[in-house]
Amino acid sequence: MSAVVAGLGGDLGGALEAIVGPLNVRRPPSALARRFAVDGASPGGEIAYLVQPGSPSEVAEILTLAGRVGAAIVPVGSGTRATAPSPHAAALAGRPRLFVDSRRMCHVLHLDETSLVVHVQAGLTALALERIVAPRGLSLGDFPPQVLGSTIGGLLSVRTPGKSSPRHGFIEEAVLGVSAVLADGRTVHTRVAPRRASGPDLARALCGSEGTLGFLTAAVLRLHRRPEARFLAAHALPSFDDALAAVRLALREEAAPAALRVYDAAEAHAHLGADVFPTGNDEQAVIVVATAGPTDLAACDRDLVASAAAAMGGTELDERLAELWWKRRTGQERGTALPAPALQVTASPKRQSAVYRAVRVACAGLGVGLRAHASRFEADGAVLFFTLVGPSGAALVGDELVRARGMAEAAASAAGAVLLGTENEELELYTRELRERLDPAGILNPGL
Amino acid sequence: MARTAVDADRLRRALVPIVGERRLSQRESDLASYGRDMWPRALIGIRSGQLPPDRPHVVVWPESEREVAAIVRVAREMAVPIVPYGGGSGVCGGAVPILGGITVDLKRMNELSSVDRDEMTCDVEAGMNGERFERELNRRGYTLGHFPSSIYCSTVGGWLACRAAGQMSTKYGKIEDRVAGLTVVTGRGDVIHTDGPVRAQRGPNWTQLVVGSEGTLGIITSARLRLSPTPELRVLRGFEVESVAHGVEAIRRVMQRGLRPAVVRLYDEIDTFISHAPLFGSKRTAGRGDEGPVTTDGLRLAPVPGPAQGALPHIPPREQGVPSDHGGGPGAIARLIGTLGGGDTARRLGARLKRDAIAAAMSRPRLLNSLAAPLAERVSRRGCRMIIGLEGSRIRTGVEARLVFDELERAGAVDQGEEPGREWFEHRYAVSYKMSPAFRAGLFVDTMEVAATWERLMDLYHAVKQAIAQHAVVMAHFSHAYSEGCSIYFTFTARAEPVAAAQRAYDSIWRDALAAASRAGGTISHHHGIGLLKGPAMAAEHREAMTLLRGLKASLDPDGILNPGKLGLPASLGAGRAADGDEAAAR
Repeated sequence: MSAVVAGLGGDLGGALEAIVGPLNVRRPPSALARRFAVDGASPGGEIAYLVQPGSPSEVAEILTLAGRVGAAIVPVGSGTRATAPSPHAAALAGRPRLFVDSRRMCHVLHLDETSLVVHVQAGLTALALERIVAPRGLSLGDFPPQVLGSTIGGLLSVRTPGKSSPRHGFIEEAVLGVSAVLADGRTVHTRVAPRRASGPDLARALCGSEGTLGFLTAAVLRLHRRPEARFLAAHALPSFDDALAAVRLALREEAAPAALRVYDAAEAHAHLGADVFPTGNDEQAVIVVATAGPTDLAACDRDLVASAAAAMGGTELDERLAELWWKRRTGQERGTALPAPALQVTASPKRQSAVYRAVRVACAGLGVGLRAHASRFEADGAVLFFTLVGPSGAALVGDELVRARGMAEAAASAAGAVLLGTENEELELYTRELRERLDPAGILNPGL
Repeated sequence: MARTAVDADRLRRALVPIVGERRLSQRESDLASYGRDMWPRALIGIRSGQLPPDRPHVVVWPESEREVAAIVRVAREMAVPIVPYGGGSGVCGGAVPILGGITVDLKRMNELSSVDRDEMTCDVEAGMNGERFERELNRRGYTLGHFPSSIYCSTVGGWLACRAAGQMSTKYGKIEDRVAGLTVVTGRGDVIHTDGPVRAQRGPNWTQLVVGSEGTLGIITSARLRLSPTPELRVLRGFEVESVAHGVEAIRRVMQRGLRPAVVRLYDEIDTFISHAPLFGSKRTAGRGDEGPVTTDGLRLAPVPGPAQGALPHIPPREQGVPSDHGGGPGAIARLIGTLGGGDTARRLGARLKRDAIAAAMSRPRLLNSLAAPLAERVSRRGCRMIIGLEGSRIRTGVEARLVFDELERAGAVDQGEEPGREWFEHRYAVSYKMSPAFRAGLFVDTMEVAATWERLMDLYHAVKQAIAQHAVVMAHFSHAYSEGCSIYFTFTARAEPVAAAQRAYDSIWRDALAAASRAGGTISHHHGIGLLKGPAMAAEHREAMTLLRGLKASLDPDGILNPGKLGLPASLGAGRAADGDEAAAR
């Protein structure tokens, strides 16, 4: 495997092998190469390698090499990202591509059981970390299991609203410090402390930056003790709006559930069964909730949610519904495979009902059916998930899906929702300047 | 530090069209007033009648973000530094205009623009005074939950600029945990807004990159902050633990069970003795039994706070003595002065004799610290005082309080009843107004707040205490607890004459203490910020990660006009453009 690159005085593959060893350099999988192929070019016709460094110093050498030859560095984790933005082709034209896979850097460097803090390399998946700390009665927190398949680096580099829980907040808030290799090969470690006032939180420059400012190699994360008790409950509410109002009421009373979800009637039927409601009403909604922590506090949180639901006209449902939801959520039981939601948006507390109604109206106008649920409730709001379905009840696909999703997105946005992956245009200049300062040759994930 | 060469008249002519004649001053008295904040090093000189050595060329009072932006653009065109100024209560020299230039006082931007009941947020201008802000929120049924001891004399913008913490941060978080977005005028003169749901956005978290930047990256003109309902219930208790180590362990257990008291304060042996001595002995019984309702599970509760009662006590009259002082910190130092001076006896002997006695004692801090050892041993047999408080919604707070107190008792803490907690609560702001007597007595007093994970916390405590004790009398309390660690707040006092010698002694204390904190794996600041004081320690604090801070500076303030010399950034204009490693040249 070799490709001669100008400025190297030799072949790039050989230089990479010298850094990480021959077993850790290969051609990238075709799907990966295709995503980063310049328009019109055959993936196989471009210089591209998948490199698997085993240490931050190897990452530093790779980045230094990339800077020398003008290669593009594309960080690769466990590939769990469902929808990745496509890079601008022009930024990649004529440049060798180095897909740097962090998964060999997969060690727990230090587990501080006194402080409940773990120092972990970026290539370990969160799920693997959970398996390591679980026997010690520890956990990363109440994060949805489906996001834990990502590497720690991926979890922190790419923001999605699903990485949060009402009890433990957004995943970035669990970060006490990060290590990263900058484009010039220097390694930085942000100061680890519970909180500090020694300038800005520099880790927040790297988290969410999708590998464009530095290559994450490790993180120091907060852990939690596994809860002493867990309670599950389900409630039927007269409407989706009432259910959202009940959730707001409970959170205002300081209830801190481990997980909480609101289904509209169609989504409740799809997820929990056709007989979920004792009496039929298409406008009804379901709240399922899990509370956790010290027994009395978890019971208190459960009761606060129940009181709030009752105050909004709710009735308690069979606890087995909540158990069914929980088992599926945690992978203990597989239900009928349902298509991934077509649209995810974040909406602040005030906007949630309006966004739901706006998307419903837009879909009705197109003759498209809709199922929805809200979850990941946090201080800045919740995430609303919409599945768009045809007359048969099957999820839309192809052009029909694209068209309906476009209309639904526009309606959600007009009603105040924030679409996933939004960029603050006012800050573009500053992000670009920061990037140019840290990576003047533009080697880190160019085109993003 | 070379003052920037500025044509003051030309600068005035450029600024008058923006703010008018009445909101601009070049009067000597104003320039001198804005030449300092509450950095104790500067106060040492002022105590001896020296005026601050640094002063701005002009002070302006803008009333809108548009005016602030226009001022920044003028500064940029004329290559003049800008220093944002809030309440001037900072204790690290963060508002000292070391190169002169324009000091922008934001106190006329002081409106609570809106409170959104559905979103539980408010929009507030940066210059709003902390006390007024909290009272306005209370009137509407909300609290920010941020109660720094400077609340009467600090501003919202100042809190954000230095990542402040309040006395109830263990529940509500530090100010960075309460901010949903900022409006900022950058060094380019642009107005940017950083709000929006972070978890849905791509790119750096600009809110968290501006919070704590101490005016070096932008001027915060307003903020969107997260609110909580005013608490329906507040529960306060005192506990006694065998030692600092036992107390630290008890707090750790509470926090790691997922419990969140609002107030956690553990005083070390000396601080306990000085601040709370009268409470030991005869009053070591649980509660007075005559205040507050008792719940069905026997939990004694403080009266419910609310808008009528006020979440904040009224500011005490100037240097008014309080019957007993339970806050630790400078208040404890004032108390120590009384102790060393012999209290009533000294008063009878006259102020001069008292001053001489204090001077003699404080000039020998090592001796005093060594004399304190037998005292500490005696004290340690009595244990350390801990104050615990919870507040929030009635039902959940009641349940959580019982769990917290049970956990503390399981960890060996002895319940002292409600009174110590109530006393602390009632006098918790008095301590911040007790520095003047100490300075008048010829001493200097300062505080240092560090933090570390639990694993390193006791090492940090011993290392910093030992470093300071070489030069000064020192005591500490632990507060602001997290599941992974805690902050330690050291208070120290020493004496040296003349001013230059006192400032040398002051610098030695900080140099050694900061180095000790870094070596022990702690952060050099938990909530006071960096300013000028801790700038030299920033390289050890962040090492290569300073590259990121310099990158931010280049992005937001390419001409380096914003608050030069703070946060360990170069004390010269053009700092934003300086390449890594160029600071020395820029200086």
